[in-house]
Amino acid sequence: MSTLARWLGERVPLGRFDIKELTNEPVPEHLKRWWWCLGGTPAYLFIVQIATGILLAFYYEPSAARAYESVRFVTEEAAYGWFLRGIHKWGATLMIAAVILHQMRVYFTGGYRRPRELNWMVGMCLLVCTLTIGFTGYSLVYEQLSYWGATVGANIAASVPVVGPWMKTLLLGGEEYGAQTLPRFFMLHAAVLPALMICLLVVHIALIRLHGVTDLRFRGDESKPPKPFLFYPDHFYTELMIGLGLTVLLAALATILPATMGPKADPLSTPEVIKPEWFFYVAFRWLKLFSGTAAVLSIGFVLFVMFVWPFIDAAIRKYTRFAEASVWIGIAGALSIIGLTVWEAAVAH
Amino acid sequence: MGGALVAAYGSAAAVAGRYLFPARPAGKRWIYVAQVASLQRGHALPWRTPSGERVSIARVGDGQSTDDFIALSSTCPHLGCQVRYESQHARFFCPCHNGVFSPEGKAVSGPPAEAGQDLVRYALRVDGPLLYIGLSERQIASAGQEA
Amino acid sequence: MSLDFKRIVIATLSLMFLGSLLFVQWMEVSRRRAETGEAGAHIAIPDSSRQCVDCHMQNTMGLVEHWKDSTHAESGVGCVECHQAEKGDADGFEHYGAHIAVIVTPNDCARCHPAEAQEFMASHHAKGGNILASLDNFLAEVVEGSRAPFDPHAPTPGLAPGQGLVGGKVNGMASAISGCQQCHGGKVAFVSTDGGHVDVDDLKPGADGKPTSQEALARIQRDPTGKPLLHPATWPNSGIGRLNLDGSRGSCSACHSRHDFSPRRARQPENCGKCHLGPDHPQKEVYEESKHGVAYRDLIHDMNLDSDEWVLGKDYSAAPTCATCHMSANTRNGMKITHDPGTRISWTNRPPVSLVLDTDVHGEVVKATDPAERAKLIEDTAQAKRNRMRQVCSHCHNDSYVNAFYAQYDEFVVNYNEKFARPGQALMKLLLDKQLLTPAQFDEEIEWSWYYLWHHEGRRARHGASMMAPDYAHWHGMFEVAERFYMAVIPQARELAEHAIANGKEAQGKAVMEFIDELLARPEHRWFEQQKKH
Repeated sequence: MSTLARWLGERVPLGRFDIKELTNEPVPEHLKRWWWCLGGTPAYLFIVQIATGILLAFYYEPSAARAYESVRFVTEEAAYGWFLRGIHKWGATLMIAAVILHQMRVYFTGGYRRPRELNWMVGMCLLVCTLTIGFTGYSLVYEQLSYWGATVGANIAASVPVVGPWMKTLLLGGEEYGAQTLPRFFMLHAAVLPALMICLLVVHIALIRLHGVTDLRFRGDESKPPKPFLFYPDHFYTELMIGLGLTVLLAALATILPATMGPKADPLSTPEVIKPEWFFYVAFRWLKLFSGTAAVLSIGFVLFVMFVWPFIDAAIRKYTRFAEASVWIGIAGALSIIGLTVWEAAVAH
Repeated sequence: MGGALVAAYGSAAAVAGRYLFPARPAGKRWIYVAQVASLQRGHALPWRTPSGERVSIARVGDGQSTDDFIALSSTCPHLGCQVRYESQHARFFCPCHNGVFSPEGKAVSGPPAEAGQDLVRYALRVDGPLLYIGLSERQIASAGQEA
Repeated sequence: MSLDFKRIVIATLSLMFLGSLLFVQWMEVSRRRAETGEAGAHIAIPDSSRQCVDCHMQNTMGLVEHWKDSTHAESGVGCVECHQAEKGDADGFEHYGAHIAVIVTPNDCARCHPAEAQEFMASHHAKGGNILASLDNFLAEVVEGSRAPFDPHAPTPGLAPGQGLVGGKVNGMASAISGCQQCHGGKVAFVSTDGGHVDVDDLKPGADGKPTSQEALARIQRDPTGKPLLHPATWPNSGIGRLNLDGSRGSCSACHSRHDFSPRRARQPENCGKCHLGPDHPQKEVYEESKHGVAYRDLIHDMNLDSDEWVLGKDYSAAPTCATCHMSANTRNGMKITHDPGTRISWTNRPPVSLVLDTDVHGEVVKATDPAERAKLIEDTAQAKRNRMRQVCSHCHNDSYVNAFYAQYDEFVVNYNEKFARPGQALMKLLLDKQLLTPAQFDEEIEWSWYYLWHHEGRRARHGASMMAPDYAHWHGMFEVAERFYMAVIPQARELAEHAIANGKEAQGKAVMEFIDELLARPEHRWFEQQKKH
């Protein structure tokens, strides 16, 4: 045993203490509150998505002729395929929900403020990646709804001034949805976006480690000395508990509400009701309210504002009296997002 | 704790392993289509598999052997539209994007030809006076049974 | 939250995860089982029959379920494939977009099974309907019933005034309809506009089965949807020699019961037992008593009855059933099934006197006695037929055994023929020729006695010998033949003769007496009265 340890130690010059040092960063006490564990949740779900996604890719064939059939094969014939697909589908939903919750927590606790502005922007990139990966993944099934969802999505992209048509062509691999489209979506979904997200995550986490987690003091605690605790095992266990809880929840969702097969995509017949996945309801409702370029541009503008918010917030705090403005703006924003989503969900058209 | 963790994630890994292990071999069954005598040369019989896929079955020779018949999927490999046989042009035509296929199912022009996608060909078998088509279990399962 | 508590929570959650995976596994297993176990999962409902299946699953689910268990369903042969009618068919009608007919005839089956249909058409089975024109039918139509409908003695339960198939009268054909015709096959008919029959004789179908008589076609009564009404006296009927509206004869479903057409069932003796049983030809009971039947009952699980092909010597060899010997394939005949069971039978034990089955081109027994003439007429000899049967026997028995069995069988038949059948037949003919009997059948006691002798007891004896059932050969057979001969036919003939002599037909009476005395003086009968005379 010691021989093996020595052999390994020579080749991997990493002592036990180095490992402890690397993993056991002390974390502030407030992380013992559950609300502060939301960052680990999307990371855990991301791992689940990678694992199930790789498995699904073993059988998936990204072509118009075979896509639907291969998804059907996974769902109906491959052993446990229905379960893995269910986990992947519900994992996506939960991951997007977790990302949004994490972002809201960071926002409302001011975690993006100096010196962490850059990490907020990295996080915004991760949000956009997550939404895009959700969109491309949904389109891969080649169901009637996902086909038309992708078609509508491409047309929205096309309505962006100047670069719109170019974006659409790039996205679809041609003037319209064709033989090139699915391979493109598949590459984005299974290779480009995950790789990009991993890079962004590394940066995201590295920045957290470099800055340390914001040490928050709640009312009444200000006078107490900081009581940091170890990442491992204490915080790790907390994250593990959340992860396991999520896994059980995923398994339950995948069995109780399994991923099903809608009708196969038919380019010749547009369905009565086209709806994207729930996380695009906001944008979809918005597009219906302000048709065309205006809506697209306004969504782009909102995204841009979110992206640079740390600097806007700093400016507000510096040059106005409204130090708490971000909270009220955040509440207004969250309420309008929820309102638009519920609105879209409640009506047929 | 460790044991429980290993058991849980271990069985998850086992599920993944079982999933990757090939499913049942794709068995092919011979399904009755029509009587050989009922097919005229040059005419295509529109037929649907029990699962609802459209197949076009034509007689290409006067003999009684399997080679005298051809069965092609009516689903365009481009985007899944339904092709139709145009006897005046002796070709299959897809109205969605003007895909054209030869009577043997080879893509001649339009998007399918660019992508090199021919119509899917089904196996046929002549057994005495009867013509059979080779279908997978999935193509045999009726649409209603899947629900 | 302490670390230990966290550990416990993690362990609990892990176990929950494990539990959910076990549940998933259970779901997967039960899903697989449902997939492989469900009969429905293996069948191919052709697109053309999907609508039929959906609707009839509600209305006549048993019928559809039967079909779902059939080989037809496995190979994608649905409702329309068999029930389709062509334009111009007398019995075709529109049914939810499909042009179909109710009755599927051998012509329909022949579309896919031409060889089988041809063999069957050539068989004696297909000619079962000939009985309708024969004397046998006289029993059911006249003796048991009445060809003309008759009035009930008084208002009668079960028959409301003015109702029933013959306008409130008693249907004297009832016995023939429910009896004879359900085995032999009836003549399928439509209800005509005047309430009568329109059958194959009226329709005069051509070679293609389509009617040539427009007049008959016009007389067919139809319901408001245009569906022709089949006459309830003629349908349902699955008799094996049914006379169909398209001119074809027979019914494949007589043996291959609809709608599962189970080969398994056709291989079992009970299937033949629908008709081949009872006092006049108890083949099924004879078989059950034989070593063959006993072995079958015991070894039924080794019979491989479900196998696709069912070749004796390859798929099974535990015991023979009716089908094994008379129809099924075996390894020594090129694995060829025949749908003409007559091709392996060397004696016909049906008539009063058994005949050797040398048959002509039409499959009829050659009755000519001149050897040259016989040689000219015979197409398939009894010996050839017997050799085909020997191929079956040889799977279990060696040649000398089989030859010795046939020697026993032949001599049994000859003994019956020579001792009782031929003399009895000659005596009955003499009585008729001498006008001691009326031409009407069954109006004199001796006619009943003679009928019992050959049609019931004589056949029982011969069938008993042919299929190794000693009790039928002897007690239910020859013993009763002898009793009938000595204790009924002979005394009744003498009584008729004495009666004739006493009533002015002396010559005729004496001729009969002489015939009987000569007969009884023969060595084989001498025992009977030898001691009484002294």
